[in-house]
Amino acid sequence: MFILKNAWISIKRNKGRNILIGIIILIIACACTITLAIKNTASYLIDSYKSAYDKEVTISFDRTNMMKGFDSSGTEGRECAREKFDNIASFTVSDVESFADSNYIESYYYTYSVGLDGNNIEKAEIELNNNMPNGFGRGKENNIASTDFTLTGYSSLDAMSEFINGTYTMNEITDNAWEIAFDGNYVFINQELADYNGLNLNDKIKLEDEDGNTYEFEIIGIFKENEEEGTDTMSMFSNSANILVTNATAVANITTNNEDLQATVNPTFIIDSYDNVEKLQNEFYEKGLDENFILQTNEEEASSGVSSIENINSFATTFLSLTLIIGGIVLFVINMINIRERKYEIGVLRTIGISKFKLTMQFVSELAIVSVVALILGASIGAVSSKGVSNSLLANEINSSNEKTEEIGKNFGGENMNGGIPNRGNKGEIRGKGMPVVEAYDSIDAVVDMKVLLELLGIGLSLVLVSSIASMVSIERFSPLTILKERS
Amino acid sequence: MTNKKKSNYIPKDKIGNNSVSKKQITKNNMEKDIKDKKVLKEKNTSPKNIILSIKNASYRYSDAEEDDYALRDVSYEFESGKVYAIRGRSGTGKTTLLSLISGLERCTEGEIIFDGKSLNNMNLDKYRNSDIGIVFQSYNLLPFMTASENIILSMDVNGLKIKNKKEKAIELMEKVGLKESYADRKVLRLSGGEQQRVAIARSLSYNPKMIIADEPTGNLDKQTETEILEIFKKLAHEENKCVIIVTHSPNVCDTVDVIYDLKKVKDVSASK
Repeated sequence: MFILKNAWISIKRNKGRNILIGIIILIIACACTITLAIKNTASYLIDSYKSAYDKEVTISFDRTNMMKGFDSSGTEGRECAREKFDNIASFTVSDVESFADSNYIESYYYTYSVGLDGNNIEKAEIELNNNMPNGFGRGKENNIASTDFTLTGYSSLDAMSEFINGTYTMNEITDNAWEIAFDGNYVFINQELADYNGLNLNDKIKLEDEDGNTYEFEIIGIFKENEEEGTDTMSMFSNSANILVTNATAVANITTNNEDLQATVNPTFIIDSYDNVEKLQNEFYEKGLDENFILQTNEEEASSGVSSIENINSFATTFLSLTLIIGGIVLFVINMINIRERKYEIGVLRTIGISKFKLTMQFVSELAIVSVVALILGASIGAVSSKGVSNSLLANEINSSNEKTEEIGKNFGGENMNGGIPNRGNKGEIRGKGMPVVEAYDSIDAVVDMKVLLELLGIGLSLVLVSSIASMVSIERFSPLTILKERS
Repeated sequence: MTNKKKSNYIPKDKIGNNSVSKKQITKNNMEKDIKDKKVLKEKNTSPKNIILSIKNASYRYSDAEEDDYALRDVSYEFESGKVYAIRGRSGTGKTTLLSLISGLERCTEGEIIFDGKSLNNMNLDKYRNSDIGIVFQSYNLLPFMTASENIILSMDVNGLKIKNKKEKAIELMEKVGLKESYADRKVLRLSGGEQQRVAIARSLSYNPKMIIADEPTGNLDKQTETEILEIFKKLAHEENKCVIIVTHSPNVCDTVDVIYDLKKVKDVSASK
């Protein structure tokens, strides 16, 4: 107890020096609070971004592996490669369902595409002049698909990535489109196809397969494709002009009746952690996935979205480190001077029998008392300042988030994304890829939370200990008799 | 070997003529001496009450050469109820011996036994704040504290648990001849003699068995010196404390019961 009493007496006695130490610690505490709050906000944004990005895994060809056996010896080499390509075992919807039955997978969705010809509609196509060089235009010779249309069925709203990322935007839509879109033969068609065939909402179109089976679909929406880099500039129509968007069940019904139809499944699996991708891939191979396929993640895409915030975070860390180093050195030097000035006092106290430990504790207590007061003041000032700093940091993200939200709503045909669009289940509302859920902080506590306060306390204690090293070492080394003799 | 020092034990009643003749200079001194000798005689008749014994103690600084001792092979015994003087010229190791018996350093060879326990195995901080009181030539009080605060600090360090420490401090101050009004004065506002009295009061604050004083009257005038020495004598003879004074002052030596003379070996050789 007398240690604290002595510490308090010393603080009162050395008001000037302790006020100076207090001001330095206050500045450090203030800077640290702001920096920690910025780091906290940045971490929050990074987490928010990363959680907005579902951890997706898709199946794609392992091109490197495919090219291993390929020799470029003209026709023979090409034949060999083609044979190899043809022998790759593709996978079906039931395979995808089997793959998805894994502990590593949280959910999944897929697109299911099949090629069909038009029965009462014509493919949107205008053949260009034959004088055009090969590789340009969309003439029959260059058309990869042998059928008129591609009927693409989405298993859920999440699978409709073209609408989410803005490649497709809904122009017209029936009132109950999203209520029935995933339950029956309904399609969304391209505006160009609609114009080409004079089609409107609620019109019925008929498609047929190679065996002459016809399938009727009702148009519940008309979309347009936004121009992007990939669009064929030499074509009159956009790439999606002959793509009919429906649900996966509708496509499955068609393929079930006709096994000869070539259908393509593109699954996307939502996994719990990127760390498990390799294990998941092995599990897929065990379940029958051809080894020419590999799993690819969206990790890189997810990380690229937060690079600017990570830069802020890293800058904040550097600033914090510099503040602490410089502050620590200044405090250490002040304490060194303090110890030199109080050498005599140390000598007297040691001579009358105070132990080195207790004496050290007295010096540490003095600094700790001043530090606690300065830390509380500094943290309060920092907390008030950091609210503004953090909210301005968040402001851009909030605006961008709101804009994206509105945009996606429009892509799906509503004023905002909730209007008439069903939720996607547990995950809540649909967001753009990498679009964070951010909100302005209303109170100081939100920025300077318990975590920040604990970090600040840790920093304060570390500073006290580091700057007390001077006193600890000096007390350990000083010989009381020598000190008193020098004084005499 | 030139640095080797040797101690000589010279009981006061066996001291050389020169010292005795010095004491005959004043009547007062002579009367005191007769009285002291009586006490000494009485003490000598009873079994020795040794509180501190130094056995072949040597001290060498850690950075000194192998044979370069600051103090070598010193053996003394100190009894309760007596005032001792350790005297010697500069460089004979007085301060080193003081630092050893006051527990500020440990012997590099030999041992010091206090109240049956070797200082080599004792917690020296505890020894300094409980068993002994130390008084310095330059008082070594904390200048930013009042007289009573300095005394109370010593009680705190000792861990003394009494209700009213200030009252006890004032009592101790009165015991060494300081008025109560001095209690709240900053020590820098006291005279040298008054500060030394506060230092003595501080050393008595936890009632130690032994008082060690390093040139306690070195900075004081003759009158004050006499008064301070009187306090030491009272402490020894009336309160049965062992008082050890390190000094080179003849006046002090004339007052004490026993004198230990520290001499360099080469000096002894030269005298022979």
